[in-house]
Amino acid sequence: MADEAKKKEIFEKLRNGVIQYDEDACKEGAQEALDAGIDPNEAIFDGLVSGMEEVGRLFEAQEYFVPEILMCADALYAGLDILKPHCKQMDIGVKGAVVIGTVEGDVHDIGKNLVKMMFDVAGFTVYDLGRDVPLDQFVEEQLRTDSELVCLSAMMTTSMVGMPKVIEKIKAKNPDCLIMIGGAPTSKDLAEKFGADGYAEDASNALKEAIKMVSFLKKLRDEKAAANK
Amino acid sequence: MNSRESVLKLFKGEEIHRVPCFSGMGNITEEGINKLGYKFAAIHSDAKKMAETAASTYKLFGFESGVVPVDLCVEAEAMGCVINVYPNAEGILYPTIKEKLIHKEDEMDIKLPDNIASSGRVPLLVEAIKLLKADIGSDVAIGSYVLGPFTLAGQIMELNDLLKLSFKKADKVAKLLDAMADAIIIVAKEYEKAGADFITVREMGATSDVLSPRVFKNLILPPLQKIIKEIKVHSVLHICGKTNDIVTFMMEAGPTAISVEQKNDVAETRKKLGKDALIFGNFDPYNVLVSGDETLVRTTMRQCIDNGVSAVWPGCDIWPAVPPQNMRAMMDEVKNYGGKR
Repeated sequence: MADEAKKKEIFEKLRNGVIQYDEDACKEGAQEALDAGIDPNEAIFDGLVSGMEEVGRLFEAQEYFVPEILMCADALYAGLDILKPHCKQMDIGVKGAVVIGTVEGDVHDIGKNLVKMMFDVAGFTVYDLGRDVPLDQFVEEQLRTDSELVCLSAMMTTSMVGMPKVIEKIKAKNPDCLIMIGGAPTSKDLAEKFGADGYAEDASNALKEAIKMVSFLKKLRDEKAAANK
Repeated sequence: MNSRESVLKLFKGEEIHRVPCFSGMGNITEEGINKLGYKFAAIHSDAKKMAETAASTYKLFGFESGVVPVDLCVEAEAMGCVINVYPNAEGILYPTIKEKLIHKEDEMDIKLPDNIASSGRVPLLVEAIKLLKADIGSDVAIGSYVLGPFTLAGQIMELNDLLKLSFKKADKVAKLLDAMADAIIIVAKEYEKAGADFITVREMGATSDVLSPRVFKNLILPPLQKIIKEIKVHSVLHICGKTNDIVTFMMEAGPTAISVEQKNDVAETRKKLGKDALIFGNFDPYNVLVSGDETLVRTTMRQCIDNGVSAVWPGCDIWPAVPPQNMRAMMDEVKNYGGKR
């Protein structure tokens, strides 16, 4: 077992690696965590995710913009790729599968990829359909995988109008499936009107929403750990 | 004084009797398409259909400009990208780029094809502008648009890579954007020759939601200045999203007018740029014009005018599914209220 000081140092390295978009530091930190016998889930959440939370804050404060976030995401993945194979399946009471994609007519996928990243981090099984995805494919993939969450993204107003059709079709076949819509033209009102369960209007919001969800999972995990002590 | 004279006077900075309501971006409506009996996907590859559809917004609602193109893929296609017009789509889907030109960083040093003016749909657009001008050009101003250098670069290579490289390898990106500017100038010149009265440069990708004002100034402003300097007719620089921190740079790019959307605080922009600056905007074309009711449309038009826009103008393309009564309410409100300021 690693001692607390060492652990803290490694988490700090992972966290700063993400914030300073330093892929090498994240790779090193991840390897060090494994070598020291630290629980990889802990390294992901207290190191990488903690860094991404700070990135979200910096974005909101307009210190960081999208290029920085993308570089931070690369750094996070550099660490995650090393840690993930060693993660035990998190027992958090949800199965955690999500279908995600950008709707037909839209080839923008940055926001979608950031949300996907947070699901990856949280240990969800992610079925990424990519971009410019025909609407029926979302419905088919949800049915095929029985995912409890579907995320639809659109950057352009012109492609967003296809969303209600998908939502209606999915809800008709599977009323319990949660649907999150995202992208610049979306809003809370629109999400309600379209019959969606959640929304995120931009990458920062998408990131925030996804972080919120992951932070919630993290809380559950901590509570579970405390209960087991 | 008809709409055309009044809009042209506005561009020249002369007094006009009321705030006009027009756009330099897409504004075709389903109402217009259906009346003509065309399929949306067919408009993009037929100059006559394109021009007729573009003219219908003026003819049906009195909108004070006629604008082609309808989609955003003309420049990328002329440079060799393959586009998808979704020929079998049930509803309306705008064309997108299927094939990028640049797939990795070391392909960024591209040489422009030497026949851009005669490639892809540039000749078709030239024809469409001429037809549109012959049809309604004595009544309203004829507009056309080109993309901005960053937005075009984001179409011909992965936006993800472009964004990261604007941070990591600004020199390489600057060089690419300069080449984009050259391509855009060639297309804009063709539109000018065809008779466009004004050209809008749409640099949607360089919004402050995505790029910092610092990167905008260092990387985006120089190629924008290069393009706008070459446009001899009136020019409008449009940027979506947050723009309050870059409106001064937008003016420095040298356009006749700037265009901003609903996220811009226009009253503040007016204060910053002074009473003579031409500021077009800034209502939400979807949440107000398409999904709002007539009352929301009318109050929003008043707000735009009260906040000090020089012309009431949508923040982006007007989505074709706009209810006809909302189009009428928009025109009616601007015509009644726009002279009272």
